[in-house]
Amino acid sequence: MEYLVVALMCIVFLQTRFMELHRSTILLAVQSAIIAAACLVIGIAHGGGLHGFLPGILTIIVKVICIPFAILKVVRELKDEKEIMSDINVNYSTGVAAFVLGLSYMIVDRILPGFEGRDILATSMFMIMTGLALIVMRSRAIMQMIGMITMENGIYLLGLVMTEGLPIIIELGVFLDVLIAVVILVILTTRLRLNFQTTDTNVMQKLKG
Amino acid sequence: MLTYLSILICLPPLCAILALLVKMPNAALHWLHRLTATVFGATMVMLVASFDPTQPFHNDYFYIDALSVWVMVIITTLYVAASWTAKSYLSREEKCGVLKGEQLQTGRYFALMQMFCWTMFLVLIVNNLGLMWVAIEATTLISALLISYKFTKAALEATWKYIMVCSVGICLALLGTLILYYAQIQLMGSANALDWVYLKQHATALNPSLTKLALLFILIGYGTKAGMAPMHSWLPDAYAEAPSLTSGMLSGALCTCAIYVLLRNLVIILPTAGSELMSSMLLFFALLTVAIAVPFVVVQRDVKRILAYSSMENIGIMLAGVGVFTMFSLKAVLIHMYSHAMIKFVLFFMAGTIIQEYGTRNMMRIHGMFKDVPQTATFWLTGMLGILGLPPFGLFFSKFNILTAMFKSEHQIAGSILVVLLAGVLIGILYHGMRMLCDRSRARQPLGDLLQPVDIFVLLLLLLATCVVGAGFENITWLNHLLSQAVMIIGG
Repeated sequence: MEYLVVALMCIVFLQTRFMELHRSTILLAVQSAIIAAACLVIGIAHGGGLHGFLPGILTIIVKVICIPFAILKVVRELKDEKEIMSDINVNYSTGVAAFVLGLSYMIVDRILPGFEGRDILATSMFMIMTGLALIVMRSRAIMQMIGMITMENGIYLLGLVMTEGLPIIIELGVFLDVLIAVVILVILTTRLRLNFQTTDTNVMQKLKG
Repeated sequence: MLTYLSILICLPPLCAILALLVKMPNAALHWLHRLTATVFGATMVMLVASFDPTQPFHNDYFYIDALSVWVMVIITTLYVAASWTAKSYLSREEKCGVLKGEQLQTGRYFALMQMFCWTMFLVLIVNNLGLMWVAIEATTLISALLISYKFTKAALEATWKYIMVCSVGICLALLGTLILYYAQIQLMGSANALDWVYLKQHATALNPSLTKLALLFILIGYGTKAGMAPMHSWLPDAYAEAPSLTSGMLSGALCTCAIYVLLRNLVIILPTAGSELMSSMLLFFALLTVAIAVPFVVVQRDVKRILAYSSMENIGIMLAGVGVFTMFSLKAVLIHMYSHAMIKFVLFFMAGTIIQEYGTRNMMRIHGMFKDVPQTATFWLTGMLGILGLPPFGLFFSKFNILTAMFKSEHQIAGSILVVLLAGVLIGILYHGMRMLCDRSRARQPLGDLLQPVDIFVLLLLLLATCVVGAGFENITWLNHLLSQAVMIIGG
C-alpha cells in the first residue's frame, strides 16, 4: 500500500508538469490504475467477495479503459488545432502541488491525529486540491477534464480509506455519473472544436454581466 | 403506493426511448410528450390523494413523506405545464429560424426533457443520502445537454461553465456525504449506510466535530447547485442560454431540488452540529446572493439574464428563510418554493415569446408592448408583479413571512439589509419592464401576438394557483396539514 501511495503522489506531480494532451491522458489512465490497485488491495484485506472486488474491477473498466479511450479519441481529432499557449507556466502548477501536499499533511494531522491511514488520507486530499488547481490553472478543455477526474479519484480514494468504500449501489451510481460526465464533456469538446476551431476555453468570453 | 411509484418511475424513460428511437412526425411526438406528462400528472394526483401526511411511505430504497410530496407537486406541475406549452414554443422557434438544420430535433429535446424531470423525481423519492447525491449529479449532466441544446457558441460557453462549476461543487457535496458516512460508521458500523430514516433516528449520537465538517462541505456543495453566491457564476449564463422552457424548469424545479436535498442533509446534521453555525453561514451567503444580484438587475440589457438574476434574488430569500430555521420561516420557504417556481416558469416562457416576437433579446430595443402585443404584455406585466412580490400573488405572502420571521428571531440587521436590497430589485425590474411595456413603439415591429390559447390557459392556471396557495394555505385544511407535517420533518 505504501508503494502505491508514493507512486500515486509521483504520478500526480507529473500530471502538473505535462502539457501535451496525449501523454497527460495516458498518465490519467495510470493514475486510475493505481487507484484500482489500491481498491483491490483494500478489498482483499477485508475478505474479498463480490463487494471486495467489484469496485476495483469497475474502476479498471470505467476509469482505466473507457474514459482514457474516449479522451484519446478526441485528442486524435485535435491534430490541426490552433495552438494557443495561454496556459500558466508549468512550474507554477508544480509549485502549487508541492504547497498543497504540505497543506494536506497539516490538515490531516490537525483534524484526525493518529489516524492509521495518514498517508493515504493526505494523498487523497492532495489529489483533490491538485485537481482543483489543474481546473483553475489550465485553460484547455481536455486538461480541465483531466483535472476533474483527478479530483474525483481523490474523493474516491478518501472514501476508500475512511469508510472502506460506499455501499455497492451508491458506488455503481457514482461510476455511472462519472462515465456520463465524461461522455458529455467529450461531446462538448468536439462541439467546441467545431465552433471555435480550438479547445482552449479562454476563447469563450462572450457571456458577461 | 408502490404501484403508483413504479408507474411514475417507468413512464418518462419509456417516453424518452420512444422519442429517440422511433421515427415519428413532430405532431405525434408532441402528443406523446403531452400524453406522458398528463398520465404522469394524473398518477401523481392519485398518489397525493392516497397519501396520508402523518404516515410516510418507506421501504429499502424509497421514502416518501410530506416534504418530498410537496416538492413533487411543484415539479410535476411544472413538468405538465412545460409539456403542454412545448408545442407552440418549439414550432415558433422553428418559424422564427432560431432552430435550424440539425438542431431541429424535437425528439432529442423531448427525450432530454423527460429524462431531466425523471432524474429530479428520483432525487425526491430515494431514501439514501448517497443516492440523492447520485441523482443530483445526474440532473446536472442531463440539464447540461439541455442547456447546450442549440450548440451555439454562447450555449457551449454557458454549458462548459455550468458543468465545471457545478461538478466541482457537487464533488464537495460528495466529500461532505462521505464524512457523514464516516461519522455513521464510527458510531454504529456500516449497516444501513447513509439511510436517511436510520440516520435521523440516530442523529443526536453522531460525532459533532465530524458533522460540523460535513455541514461545511454539504452547504457549499449543494449551495453551488442551487446558485448561491459566490459560486453563482454559472447561473445567469445557463439560464439565459437554455431554451426558455428549460430555463423555467432549471429555475423553478432544479433549484428547488437542490434546496430540498440541503434540507434533508440539515435534518441529519443539525442535532449535533447546532444551528448557530448553519444559521450565520446561510444568512451571510443569502444576503451576498441578493446583494450581488441587485446591481446586475439594474443595469441589465438582456431579457433572460434579468430573470436569471431575479432567480438569484429569490434563492437568496429562500436560503435566508432556511437560515432563520423556525417553524414559521420554514413554512414560508416551502410556499416560496412553490410560488417562485410557478411565476418564474411563466416569466421565462413569456421572455421566450417576447424574444420570438421581437427577434431580439435586448430590452432596450423593445418598446410599446401594450399597444403592439397586448396579450403578451399583460402576462409579462402580471408575471413581473408576481415575482416582485406584490399581492395577491403567492410570493407576497411568502416573502412577507420570511422577513417577519427574520425580524422575530433576532436577525433584525440582516432583515433590514434584505428589505433594502429587495427594493433595489423592485426598482430594477419595474424600470426595465415598464419601459418595454409603455413606451411608444419605435424601430422594431413585432411579429404580432404569438401566444396560443393553450399557452394562455396554462399560464393563467399557474398564476391563479400561486394566488390560491400563497394566500390561502392556512385555510385549505389538507394543504396546511401537509405543510405543517413537512415543517415538522425538517425542524423536528
